[in-house]
Amino acid sequence: MAYDSDLSFVYFGPTKVVFGGGSSTSELESEISSLGCSRAIVVTDQGIIKAGLSENIIKTLGDKCVGVFSDVPQDTGIDVVNRGAAFAGEKGADIVISIGGGSVIDTAKGMCILLTEGGSLADYEGIQLLTRPQTPHIVIPTTAGTGSEVTWIAVIYDKEKGQKILIVESHNAPRVAILDPQLTIGLPPLLTASTGMDAMTHAIEAMTSIQREPLSDAMALHAIRLLSTWLPECLKDGRDLKARGQVQLAATMAGWAFGNALVGLVHAMAQSVGAVARVPHGVACGILLPWCMDFNLSDGEPETIAIYATVAEALGLSARGDDPGSSAAAAVKGSFDLLEEIGHPMKLSEFGVTEEHITEAADLSMADGAIINNIRYVSEKDEVLDIYRRAL
Amino acid sequence: MEAYKAFTQEWMDAWKEKIAGSKEYREIAKDWEGSVSITVNADPSKNIPQTVYMFTDYWHGDVNEFVICDAAKAQSAKFIMTGDYARWKQVAKKELDATKALMQGKLKLKGDLTYVVRNIKTVNKVIDLLTEVDTIFPDDV
Ligand SMILES: [Fe+2]
Repeated sequence: MAYDSDLSFVYFGPTKVVFGGGSSTSELESEISSLGCSRAIVVTDQGIIKAGLSENIIKTLGDKCVGVFSDVPQDTGIDVVNRGAAFAGEKGADIVISIGGGSVIDTAKGMCILLTEGGSLADYEGIQLLTRPQTPHIVIPTTAGTGSEVTWIAVIYDKEKGQKILIVESHNAPRVAILDPQLTIGLPPLLTASTGMDAMTHAIEAMTSIQREPLSDAMALHAIRLLSTWLPECLKDGRDLKARGQVQLAATMAGWAFGNALVGLVHAMAQSVGAVARVPHGVACGILLPWCMDFNLSDGEPETIAIYATVAEALGLSARGDDPGSSAAAAVKGSFDLLEEIGHPMKLSEFGVTEEHITEAADLSMADGAIINNIRYVSEKDEVLDIYRRAL
Repeated sequence: MEAYKAFTQEWMDAWKEKIAGSKEYREIAKDWEGSVSITVNADPSKNIPQTVYMFTDYWHGDVNEFVICDAAKAQSAKFIMTGDYARWKQVAKKELDATKALMQGKLKLKGDLTYVVRNIKTVNKVIDLLTEVDTIFPDDV
């Protein structure tokens, strides 16, 4: 139990956060110097370059930038990381700067390991195998959702095995995350809404994980507050720098929350329907979140009711001292309402998901690692299938 | 019930017997393929003078080799788990959740993490069954 007398846990979040409009150019050099580095390799992708997001940053670096590796696809792979690391090694890089979303950041995380340890990334599949700090990594995210800028997990595709591998290394957590809201103002509405809901799901699921603890709860609760207030504002006006900044901070807080407490049923189901029907991760999380909350709540467990009542407070839907049952129900309804307010898709079928897809996805969900952290124990595939059907 | 000294072949035999005799294990582990080695780092202060290597092998609900081994054999396993004695003792007594221990770096795992996570129920069942073996820990003697 998260708040019982036998509470014992480790909270880990070593990444320094530098926040502010324009910080990706104004603060970068001094952050590199304070890490004792001078030869930066920039990791990014073609989309970011075309959108003009990396240009000023690279210009600012001047001759501190020894090379740009931009050959990063949507879902990065071991071969990509190996190539990137070889390139960075040839250039004599002593620090990695990633500018982009999840795939770029994970590529850079993998490169940091190879620059320090050598070999191929396939040698490092596993958890906590490293015994010393890795090549410094500064992350400059261009989306607001994954939280990857503060987590120490990298997901990399292994072509030979035909599956994704996980590399979990606390010695490889990014040293610095530079959050510059100006880089997210160009995000289109659907991407803004869905990445925001990914962050919201990280926060709410961290609170209903069996691994939850008070520090991750604190991060999650404030992330929920900020997202419920500022995500709708980002959708009203994508150029609202204040709103963009608050959402970016919320995504980072949610990253700390789930990096420590992990995620649950929504992620198990979102990852599975993503694998089967290629529904984008954030979209699947957003659609499934309220339905899974409803499922978690429906067994009447007082602990779940109490948690969701706290979530309702953070969503601004109830006050301390209100009836917990009604507050918890308000949190579920509030999540549906938020989707509507931000124009987020409401049904999986909008993304071509069929009954066949969800039958297959329900099987995968039961075998997904995230499902075991869920506050309500899921014992039957039919329970998952039923949630999918409601969201179809 | 007879008690066994931890990290001896007799203790491993008793553990193997518990697993092999569990119908529930057979059902949960019906898809599991492959070996897991357990390395307990030496800790002379806790009466572990030398690093202990164990090799355990599982196949679709069957339990195969279950032996104390050398470093080379431990390295050959599909999954290699390593940790300090104090952590393993906590895990064996169910005072520490194995998933948590891995995430927090209290134990290390080399191998396909997604496979382990997917089959975490099997892993937990094997640990559950270990708690049923009456164990004498080296630092409790
Ligand atoms: Fe997510």
